[in-house]
Amino acid sequence: MNYQVYNRDVCVGTIRVLGVSSSSVLIVGDTNSIQLAATFDTPAESLLVGPFVPLTPE
Amino acid sequence: MLNRTSFVDKINIDTMSFSSVFEIGDSCSIQGFSRAIALQREAEYFNTREGNYSVYPIFSEPIPLLPIEEELTIHTSQLNPIIKVQTIDIIGVSSSSIVHIGNSGNISMESRVKHIRQLFQKNNNRNPSRD
Repeated sequence: MNYQVYNRDVCVGTIRVLGVSSSSVLIVGDTNSIQLAATFDTPAESLLVGPFVPLTPE
Repeated sequence: MLNRTSFVDKINIDTMSFSSVFEIGDSCSIQGFSRAIALQREAEYFNTREGNYSVYPIFSEPIPLLPIEEELTIHTSQLNPIIKVQTIDIIGVSSSSIVHIGNSGNISMESRVKHIRQLFQKNNNRNPSRD
């Protein structure tokens, strides 16, 4: 595949961001490659009802 | 390929935490990694030295990345090699995140989060006003 890019004027006024979190990136510039991976686990088994049991120690 | 120059007139970041980076200038390689056990309890109950990443497979399972098999030829023409931003306003940057003004090479970021909630038994609710 041939991919042709013409970068003309890029002029941005205001960027308002609440949060950049969990290995996220906010970049003003050029980059060759970006590779992002995330796992987020909140399954039914992680809802524990009953007496508070401490988690496995460190 | 000539890279562009970034112009940011004003940037305001309120909070940066947990190994986050604010970089002004170019970089060639960025690798970020963060992992967290987010435990929410219905009552304030704290234990020191609890929580072990090795118990939960989410922190060790491989995250597959599909290889790019398509033959790719990129040609970029910089007709106006400037990226202009007047104002950036960020409230928080957290957990190995990056705010970068400038060019970079290869960026690779990974995040693994495990959520756990511990609740009271409903019939044994110690805070009946919440019902």
